[in-house]
Amino acid sequence: MSQARSSPARTAAAHAILIVYTLIALFPVLIVVMNSFKSRKAIFRSPLSPPSAETFDLVGYQTVLAQGNFPLYFQNSVVVTVVALAIVLVFGAMAAFALAEYRFRGNALMGLYLALGIMIPIRLGTVAILEMMVASGLVNTLTALVLVYSAQGLPLAIFILTEFTRQISDDLKNAGRIDGLSEYRIFFRLVLPLLRPPMATVAVFTMIPIWNDLWFPLILAPAEATKTVTLGAQLFLGQFVTNWNAVLAALSLAILPVMILYLIFSRQLIRGITSGAVK
Amino acid sequence: MAAERADRRPIRWHIAVFLAPAVLIYTAVMIIPLFGTLQLSLFSTVDNQQVFVGLKNFATLLGDERWAASFWNALWNNTWFFIIHMVVQNPIGVLLAALLSHPRLRFSAFYRTAIFVPTILSFVIVGFTWKLILSPLWGVAPELLDMIGLKHLFTPWLGKEDYALTTLGLISVWQFVGIPMMLIYAALLSIPEEILEAAECDGITGFAQFWKIQLPLILPAIGIISILTFVGNFNAFDLIYSAQGALAGPNYATDILGTFLYRTFFGFQLQIGDPNMGATIASIMFFIILAGVCLYLFAIQSRLRRYQF
Amino acid sequence: MDALKLEKIRKSFGQVEVLKGIDLQVADGEFVVFVGPSGCGKSTLLRIIAGLEDATAGEVAIAGARVNAVPPAKRGIAMVFQTYALYPHLSVRDNMGLGLKQSGAPAAEIARRIEIASTMLSLEPYLARRPAELSGGQRQRVAIGRAVVREPKLFLFDEPLSNLDAALRVNTRLEIAQLHKRLSATMIYVTHDQVEAMTLADRIVVLNAGRVEQIGAPMELYNNPANEFVAGFIGSPKMNFIDGARLGETARTVGVRPEHLAVDRDKGDWKGTVMHAEHLGADTNLYIDTEKAGLLTARIFGEFRAEPGETIFATPDPARTCRFDAEGRTLR
Repeated sequence: MSQARSSPARTAAAHAILIVYTLIALFPVLIVVMNSFKSRKAIFRSPLSPPSAETFDLVGYQTVLAQGNFPLYFQNSVVVTVVALAIVLVFGAMAAFALAEYRFRGNALMGLYLALGIMIPIRLGTVAILEMMVASGLVNTLTALVLVYSAQGLPLAIFILTEFTRQISDDLKNAGRIDGLSEYRIFFRLVLPLLRPPMATVAVFTMIPIWNDLWFPLILAPAEATKTVTLGAQLFLGQFVTNWNAVLAALSLAILPVMILYLIFSRQLIRGITSGAVK
Repeated sequence: MAAERADRRPIRWHIAVFLAPAVLIYTAVMIIPLFGTLQLSLFSTVDNQQVFVGLKNFATLLGDERWAASFWNALWNNTWFFIIHMVVQNPIGVLLAALLSHPRLRFSAFYRTAIFVPTILSFVIVGFTWKLILSPLWGVAPELLDMIGLKHLFTPWLGKEDYALTTLGLISVWQFVGIPMMLIYAALLSIPEEILEAAECDGITGFAQFWKIQLPLILPAIGIISILTFVGNFNAFDLIYSAQGALAGPNYATDILGTFLYRTFFGFQLQIGDPNMGATIASIMFFIILAGVCLYLFAIQSRLRRYQF
Repeated sequence: MDALKLEKIRKSFGQVEVLKGIDLQVADGEFVVFVGPSGCGKSTLLRIIAGLEDATAGEVAIAGARVNAVPPAKRGIAMVFQTYALYPHLSVRDNMGLGLKQSGAPAAEIARRIEIASTMLSLEPYLARRPAELSGGQRQRVAIGRAVVREPKLFLFDEPLSNLDAALRVNTRLEIAQLHKRLSATMIYVTHDQVEAMTLADRIVVLNAGRVEQIGAPMELYNNPANEFVAGFIGSPKMNFIDGARLGETARTVGVRPEHLAVDRDKGDWKGTVMHAEHLGADTNLYIDTEKAGLLTARIFGEFRAEPGETIFATPDPARTCRFDAEGRTLR
């Protein structure tokens, strides 16, 4: 920034505001993680100080690991998220290709129909979804969750991927056609690899709400064998509400994997948002 | 014969194959249940039989004293929840984005990443974490207020009818401020540097530059954020459920349409679940969201000019 | 008093030094063009004059006052950008008036100046339109109008014609030249196109790799280039450079412009073969492989029939031949 254009005071003020807000954003997370490593007494006596040699205590984590069925919940969450994600990405990209590549009657209408789901939340159909799952015997199965999350993720995925598929050069696809490739091969061999960057963005957008959802696990799959981490944590926290060590440890354990994934993919996520993928 | 064949295009099955899986899942799991729910709201269960009752459920919801009180309470709370987001979350998001978009601001990637952290956490974590922090049992909030000499302001906010909903609204703002921040940030980055330089040459600097040049150019992004906030808020449930339970206490002070729907549908404690009334509430939520989206698409979006740079 | 004075301007971006000490004085009412290949630092220099960029070292003075720490708006300059940089949400009128409004000028004065500028640039029919509703040439005229309205001491143009198509470029070039005459204002103009430089400038500043290679009137640069770079950069097709040793000269390099090579089928200094001929109508470019001087370009006015493979003779005009030493400097 040119000296003639910016004042140091203005820059300092900008940093001050951003630092304050960064603290506000991170403080609750820090305080929970910090206190999860302290003894019960220390948690209450000096909640704002970091654990020291004296106050260090892992009792909360021991309780959580002894009580909860967390490895199973974690596995359920991973299975649901990964399978739903795969369905959203592959089927979404296929539909996006059909909409972007071919002119056929009803193309625009089909696009509009699929875009409807971006604005109307799937939750509003819960009553009938539950009825349907009961009728088909899918209640308390991970399949039910996978289906719901796939339907939830597809509209936005198709919308974003259609935009990107339109940008792929026609020459490339026509070269493939002249070389005698079938439309399927053109999609899977030529187009899909080029869609990787926007698909990564879509993956992050799709993943976060699935992993964090409480509503559908609570309604469609509350059985012990099919609980997700989010639901498990909710129930555990409610149950152990007076055992502060356990609650703080459980919260920390829930935060950590998400934080690690976020730090790995944050660049992808931010690039995805700022590239205008959601405009 | 050959000419005739050339005239008629063969059916392009591959288009159907590409579209089918997505369209089937979307239709079966999203669209049909959505209409199924609308339909269920027109029925009532009498002696284990579904009986068509027309708009009677809606009449009950809006006319029956007990139902209407709960419904209007939830609707008003939900509106207040939305207002908080509009007047707190979005201005803060715009402010942060404006600061971050300043060219050559150091550490901006760090700020961006850190401020977005709460958005990726689940409602369960957010709800419980804040419940603990604001708990009078644990001294965190009072101690912090003490540091800035405002300890006398402390009160168990989540436990008081007057404050609980606003507090939850602010917690939700804390969680989601990253989204408007990022979208506005992206919109600000898309304004070409030369336009801002032209403004510098014209003497339009600092706040005037933001107000007269940047803000008019990001209005479409602010419009999108507003409608996303609207849909998200009138569909909210998780945070309230995590922090206050299905009863949305204290004394339903934090009850919004999502929690009201959940209780009605599944029943809670003494109340028996009623799928038809649940569907009725869901239908009303559907119409509210649809009305908001239509208002945005037809009345607001068409007036917001988008600029090609 | 100089309208603009630059003293020992240096600019580094990190480790890279893009301007290595620029000195320049521009007289009142002068039209000065900065020209050079891309990356030579000409745009950076313009931005330093405008105040959009800080000089790492050196001094900028506008109308006798040091302006290093003065914000762009207070320097008495106006800038026309390559991409026009019009405010997309404002009408043509508001685009031109915004700066004045911001500085608190009375409404009547703003209206008067817009009126004058829009008449000058024939923009009256478009005053209520937004930039998106204008063609490229009209947008560029609005950008110029926005500068005119400010009545600056110094006009700065940053490659203003490079986004226009060829026909429009010629028209707008003419308009800028007329504008300069009418306003008798001082103008600094950056371009990479030597035709624009030659046609518009009172004086040309040739920049290369962050240094000034030569400053002078267009014909001075053409006739007496200070060095090999300027000789090669000004003039099209490019000057032929011949190794001095091949010709038995003491100079390291001998330069002959294509238009200063006389071509004859029967006799001449250098015998060669036609490799290729370009017929442009008004003139003909011949590429000749000579035994003595290597591959040369010759420019002949009017039409000249020549077939590849034909034997031909080329003779340089001795009065217009340049000689350069080992450092590339012109030997006089």
